[in-house]
Amino acid sequence: MRLIVLAKWNRALALLSVMLFLQVGLSERSTSDETLGKMAAAEEAAFKGQVQPLLQKFCVRCHNADNLESGIRVDHLTTALEDRELPLWKGILKQVADGDMPPADEPQPTAEQRKSLTEWITRAMKVARSRPTPKNGSVRRLTVAQYRNTLRDLLGLQEDLTDALPPDGISKDGFANNGQTLLLSPLQVETYFDIAEKALELCIVDENSKPVIQNFRMDFGAAINPQPCPDNLVLGANNALLNNADFVVTELKPSKPFDHLPFAMKTKHEFIEGYVGNDTIRAWKKFDSIYHSVFACVRGTPGYPKGEAHQVIPSGLLLRPAIPSPEIFGQSNTYGPMANFKISLRELPDQGNFRVTVKAARYDEGELDQSGTAFAKRSPSLGVYIGLRRDCGSTLTPVAKPQAVTNTELQDFIFEGAINDFPTPDVEKDNVNYLAGIREIGVRSEYTDGRDMPRLLIRSVEFEGPFYDSWPPATHRSIFIDSPHKNDPATYAREIIRSFATRAFRRPITAAELEPIFGVWKNSFAEKGNFRQSIKDALLVVLTSPQFLFLIENSSTPAAEDLDPYELASKLSYFLWNGPPDQRLLDLAAKNTLHQSLDAELERMIRDPRFGQFISEFTSQWLSLDKFDVVAVDAQRYPKLTRDTKTQLRQEPIQFLRYLIEQNLSLRNVVQSDLLVVNEVTASYYNLADRTESGFRFVPIKHENENLGGVLTQAGILAGLSDGRESNPIKRGAWLARKIIAEPPDDPPPNVPQLKEDDGVKLTLREKLERHRNQKGCAKCHSGIDPWGIPFETFDAGGLFKKDPGVDAHSILPDKAEIKNLIGLKAYLANDHIDQVAFSFLKHAACYAVGRSLTYNELVFLQEQSVPLKAHDYRMQELLRFVITSDIFLKK
Amino acid sequence: MPTPLQLDRRAVLKGLAGVTLALPLLEAMGKEVAAKTPRRFCAMYTANGMSLPNPKHGIDEWSWFPKTEGRAFEFGKSTEPLKAFREKLSFLGGLHHPNGPKADPHLCSDMWLTGAPLHNPKPGMFNSVALDQVVAQNTKQFCRQPSLVLSIDAGVGFLSRTGTISYNLEGKPIPAENNPRRVFDRLFRGDRASLATQREQLQRRIKLVDAVLESSKALNKQLGQSDREKMDQYLTSLDEIEARLTASEKWIDIPLKTQDYSHLNLDATNEGEPAEYYRNMFDLIALAFDADITRSVAFMLNREDGMGISDTFPLKLGLTRTHHNLSHAEDKDGQLEFAKYDLFLSEQIAHFLKRLEDYKDNAGSVLDNTIVLFGSGASTTHYPKNLPTLIAGGSNMGLKHGTFWRGNELRMSNVFLSILRSMKIEEGSFSDSTGTVGGSIFSAS
Repeated sequence: MRLIVLAKWNRALALLSVMLFLQVGLSERSTSDETLGKMAAAEEAAFKGQVQPLLQKFCVRCHNADNLESGIRVDHLTTALEDRELPLWKGILKQVADGDMPPADEPQPTAEQRKSLTEWITRAMKVARSRPTPKNGSVRRLTVAQYRNTLRDLLGLQEDLTDALPPDGISKDGFANNGQTLLLSPLQVETYFDIAEKALELCIVDENSKPVIQNFRMDFGAAINPQPCPDNLVLGANNALLNNADFVVTELKPSKPFDHLPFAMKTKHEFIEGYVGNDTIRAWKKFDSIYHSVFACVRGTPGYPKGEAHQVIPSGLLLRPAIPSPEIFGQSNTYGPMANFKISLRELPDQGNFRVTVKAARYDEGELDQSGTAFAKRSPSLGVYIGLRRDCGSTLTPVAKPQAVTNTELQDFIFEGAINDFPTPDVEKDNVNYLAGIREIGVRSEYTDGRDMPRLLIRSVEFEGPFYDSWPPATHRSIFIDSPHKNDPATYAREIIRSFATRAFRRPITAAELEPIFGVWKNSFAEKGNFRQSIKDALLVVLTSPQFLFLIENSSTPAAEDLDPYELASKLSYFLWNGPPDQRLLDLAAKNTLHQSLDAELERMIRDPRFGQFISEFTSQWLSLDKFDVVAVDAQRYPKLTRDTKTQLRQEPIQFLRYLIEQNLSLRNVVQSDLLVVNEVTASYYNLADRTESGFRFVPIKHENENLGGVLTQAGILAGLSDGRESNPIKRGAWLARKIIAEPPDDPPPNVPQLKEDDGVKLTLREKLERHRNQKGCAKCHSGIDPWGIPFETFDAGGLFKKDPGVDAHSILPDKAEIKNLIGLKAYLANDHIDQVAFSFLKHAACYAVGRSLTYNELVFLQEQSVPLKAHDYRMQELLRFVITSDIFLKK
Repeated sequence: MPTPLQLDRRAVLKGLAGVTLALPLLEAMGKEVAAKTPRRFCAMYTANGMSLPNPKHGIDEWSWFPKTEGRAFEFGKSTEPLKAFREKLSFLGGLHHPNGPKADPHLCSDMWLTGAPLHNPKPGMFNSVALDQVVAQNTKQFCRQPSLVLSIDAGVGFLSRTGTISYNLEGKPIPAENNPRRVFDRLFRGDRASLATQREQLQRRIKLVDAVLESSKALNKQLGQSDREKMDQYLTSLDEIEARLTASEKWIDIPLKTQDYSHLNLDATNEGEPAEYYRNMFDLIALAFDADITRSVAFMLNREDGMGISDTFPLKLGLTRTHHNLSHAEDKDGQLEFAKYDLFLSEQIAHFLKRLEDYKDNAGSVLDNTIVLFGSGASTTHYPKNLPTLIAGGSNMGLKHGTFWRGNELRMSNVFLSILRSMKIEEGSFSDSTGTVGGSIFSAS
């Protein structure tokens, strides 16, 4: 009984903690109109006359500043009923009304006294809740991810320049986009300047120059090279190079609709250091062949389990899936995966985008490939990587996602990236070591789970970079727009600035804003006479202006105001795309019809690929997937949970939620679902390998396993909420309370000792938890945590069902409901308590959408007003629509 | 008291943002800097470990580590030249990087000053920041050069056989300089052309920051009731950036301290006599410290795994094998020769400490105000534990010397954190540190 009461208090407290976080500052400015003022005066008198003495008499002895029984004090309460105190008042009301407080063994108030207390609280809360909360717009800076997406959209620049920015802080609600936690330091602002400078440098070119383009192709085939390099090539210890005769390198001149210069790779080299076997040798030696500049290399862990890892046949190079090498300390060993094919070379462009074109086919395996068999349904996936040669650890970084190669006819597969997003050698050009600064283009048949599959046939690999469709490139042309005024510098500059700043500010630039920026151009142009440079100077000011770096909702009064249409466009896009509005949103804003088009826009935005940026960001933060990123898995206990498998499992909750939203399915699936969204890797992890042949693509499947389905049993969640060795009911319980039912427990008080190991006596986990729970200071929170965590005990730290019938997972939940295990918990949540799950989703989505914590009134609004959504089974899109059409979202 | 700053903008900003802006950098410049005693750091790395002869050869006195622990320690034969500085230095044993044994042993020089998990590089980040660069971040506002990165071979070597021990905040190697004349020209004879370019860049940036400030002001006026806290943060940041840039520009004009350079032989190179080369490099570091040009120096004395010219130094000194080969020696003669190379290095270090001791700060000698860290990433032949470590100087930063102190499998990063704390750099942690090293030679915790 006592336990349940405490749990209720905790719920109230949890809300309180949310409030505390936000409300400081706002409450002081609370205003009230005349009527409210009069009402308040009456309540004030009643408080002094009746309420306060009652609290004093019956409550304060246990709930004061020094003796915070259950973490509650009431001695400081006043008639102010500040927003942050409302949850506490609500709790008091409930306790007193239900007769739960004071406890039975304490002096009791009369029925009359109880009544006057509850009536006063009810009235006062009504007054407090109808008190308008001042709304003063908001100014919050873009998160690093938003800034990255915005810069890319605005400039059309693929290269990611945002590495140097410090990571964003995480708010108490778990989100990185909370205005209160998005701080700004001089270092950060300085970095914005550096990034802007670099970005403009990359985007703007000298129109009259000719780009230098590196373009070559390596073809494979047995004895394809009539004039192979006569030297015995050496690429360090355990080098495994293809036979010199089995590949041939051709330098190409790309056909482009503009003038350019071909880049010829250096073939004459002089080195003083190199290797023979494992020994360093030191003597000057000259080399003269393109095959000392470009190598075909299969350095990888030896001992492929089935057949040869690779084979050269007349029509090309055959590759089997690149099996991750055994891990040492959780890491891939020195030589990388088995069948680790790569082109090693000395020179790649130092900037710009590149394109790797692989001519490949699914190899026809003849007899094995009987139609109708599982084998015949399979196709290899082609992955391309860029990295650096080194002795230890892998530096190969994937270029885009793997592509399925389904056709036995040769086809071109294109992979593009920005060269500086990949490891660069940081080695000076005249380095005298034969192995220094060697780059690698990795080409693999990707490994999923070890199932037999057709080999990947590689006929050729072509590289081109910097890759341009046109000259000057699009990045340049989108800044230097077409204009009849190109010969009039001042007019043209003004046009350029206006066009650029309007896109950068996500709304038309005002005349007052334009002038100082134009002034920068004017001074710079007057000083140097260099048009391009002076434009760069002006645009650098745009890219470091608050209008670009911040999301600003401008408010002129403390009353709630409608967002202006451009503010709404940005709010929508930074919510649903985590990036800037597109032209259509801006057009609707310009026509002032965006408010009316919200329904249609929501659907359109969900269908847009940019929705992936939201779903990944939101899901990761809502469900705390970062915990899975950092968990150190015990490889002995969970050998299946390798680094590569983790990468795929990390995607599962995201892909799952995306599917639910795209298909507009019921929220119920979040906690209980008969479908899984899997690819070959994750399906195999759940022992459902036979259910899909989709490669790395996530697809929905029915699973018929009551232990699976929904986020609660996704391995990425469960393993993230462990220490990599043992399952942890406390972490899991706290996570569920916080994320799924929005009843977050308080933070642990300072100086709480870790759970002690045994003290000589072997305790079961349940006993340990009980012991812990009975410790003073722990009980009040743990009674709201442990009951939610215990049911998860049937799942191990790797996130899989334990299959151990001895596991005790039965739990009495805070409302006394008794459940047997996680299946029971899922049913409990999906059936009787789906409203609470819906509230939690809405709370998190709204909080993320507006970039701040919600007020008490807003939380109550969500709870009360979302009820009609239940009639349609809480469909995901309707939940999102509810958020963006609410005043929480639309008012500033 | 008037300051050299443009007060008008501050006044405007103050009115605008409603906050008073601190300008710590400018205030720290010039006279005030001189009035405070500097805190400096110098890291010196030697590759391939030290000679720790096998007891069966009966030449224990040639072991690099002293025989006895504690204050009663005795110098071995290979460290005898350092005897003169007994009370200004300490030997440290039992240290290692937990990531050391996980990675290829030849990577120990890559991680010596960073402690990074090189066996598990993060995408795009193959090392992490080195200690000297953390120091530089915290001392750069007081001097002209954030740091000085030197090595026997110029450049960066290559990943996994580094040619520099210094890595920046993004974990990228910082190219080292190795030519005494070039180092001298850059530090003491700022060449006109590069100064002019530098000034031009700084001035351009100042103008642009100014312009952003102007246009932000306009915006701030429009913001009406909106919460202005974020804008204030932004404007304050802009102002501080401007102050920093102005400070950097001013250094260009402040004349260098007058020093005696007559002992330098700037024609020395790494191709010539090793002792002559090291002496000149050390003299340059000492001069740079004395003139307060920089407060952070990293110097890689030789390269791991037979890389670079330093591998041949033992041969030039009349020994019979190269440095890397000596480190692999199992025989008595080889291990003795390896120790004799250690002896040679000790002589060079002793010369350096003498120089630092001879230059005086306003309080104590330069050595008293400099923490000198000397060591290797392997104790001997690729063994990444019990890293040979010598710390000298820094008594004005609370270091208590004259001892051989041994940790028990203690993290090197904890020692590094103690160095930072001694320098009053209040970092919460360094690399994989778990705390500072209590009860050792450091007083700061």
